[in-house]
Amino acid sequence: MNVHGTYLFHAPRERVFAAICDPETLMAVIPGCRDVHLGASGDYEGTVSLRLPGAVGTYRTSVRMVDVVAPERSSLDGRLEGQMGSISGHATFVLDEERAATRIDYQGNAVIQGPLARLDSRFAERFAETLIGQGLKALDARLQTEVSA
Amino acid sequence: MTIANYYRPGSVSEALDILAAHGADLLVIAGGTIAMPLINEGISLPAEVMGLRRAGLDTYTRRGDEVILGATLPITRLVEQTDVPMLRAAALRTASWSVRNMATVGGNLFAPPPAGDIAAALLALGATATITGRSGTREVALDDFWTGFMTTVVAPDELLTSISVPVTSAATSFIKFGRKRDNTPAVVTVAVTANLDNGIVRGARIALGAAGPHAIRASNAEAAVHGQPLSASVIAAAADAAAAECEPFTDAVATDAYRRQMVRLFVARALTQLDASASTQGREA
Repeated sequence: MNVHGTYLFHAPRERVFAAICDPETLMAVIPGCRDVHLGASGDYEGTVSLRLPGAVGTYRTSVRMVDVVAPERSSLDGRLEGQMGSISGHATFVLDEERAATRIDYQGNAVIQGPLARLDSRFAERFAETLIGQGLKALDARLQTEVSA
Repeated sequence: MTIANYYRPGSVSEALDILAAHGADLLVIAGGTIAMPLINEGISLPAEVMGLRRAGLDTYTRRGDEVILGATLPITRLVEQTDVPMLRAAALRTASWSVRNMATVGGNLFAPPPAGDIAAALLALGATATITGRSGTREVALDDFWTGFMTTVVAPDELLTSISVPVTSAATSFIKFGRKRDNTPAVVTVAVTANLDNGIVRGARIALGAAGPHAIRASNAEAAVHGQPLSASVIAAAADAAAAECEPFTDAVATDAYRRQMVRLFVARALTQLDASASTQGREA
């Protein structure tokens, strides 16, 4: 499964980068995400609940930030695991300043294992891109709210 | 893992209690025509499933200038009604008789594209979804119902309970284009409603199915026809606008480029049929 995209945040790059690296912020913006915390191993850990007919259920998730070059770019290794199988992936994102805004370019790939792997890969990619898009949009709204508060 | 528990609530209230007890781990189905093939194939392995067949939501009610469709109303019932001709046309082009007997109107709003022909028609008709939770009921226009591919504004502790459809005297047109005539997924679906005043378009709604992450409106195409006669040049401009603004995808049925071309072709055809049917009723392609 491959995903990629671009999103324009209406906030300075430093604030966007800090928000992405903050578990509490992530928990608030990722659809269905709960209980995100920084684990002892340095990974972000939590659960994500999906109500997709082919993948309904709660999944344990862990994310590790790697190759961090604040506030320009970072990569992350992640894993989602539940009774339906697992998704392991790697993603890279780059933040560029655009006047007072920040553009994020991301791309990632993941390997799906277990019953989940029988889902049409295009179906899985479209659903993943929807969740990423909703998360980025919610993060942008949160950042703008903080600015106006 | 097989299904451990299958719940059949006898009311919306009971369904909401079950939903609250099990949260996101509960798979909610109505007709089951989307979820059951995945379960039977071993792709989906939900432990907890709730079927809404007996929750009392399979009602059809004409109330003044609107029709209230219960969320679990079988699509077959849309074929039998005459209040909203476009819904009959859409139902006749959806799946097969046997599937339509099982599939529900509400379920169609959650169907992944290219499924969702009824959803496109309902969007063009300006329908409103009624969503019920323990804290009450709220109404959401279908324009605001979807938030992305397979995602909606329905919260984990809520259920879609009905859909209100205005009974319109506007001209309507519905076209589903597939690889074959019947029982086939859409390459594209186009549904149009418009009020025509001496041949001038006064407010049009152009909805596209299988041309985005969910049923979408072609708002630039709508603007292109607003206040205009349906001349060949106006129709061509609207078709170009729809082709430019749609968000097609590639699947086993068609490529995104082909879908975009078909949006252009069938928006033009739907608008042409609209003009021809202006003084009568909706028209089935």
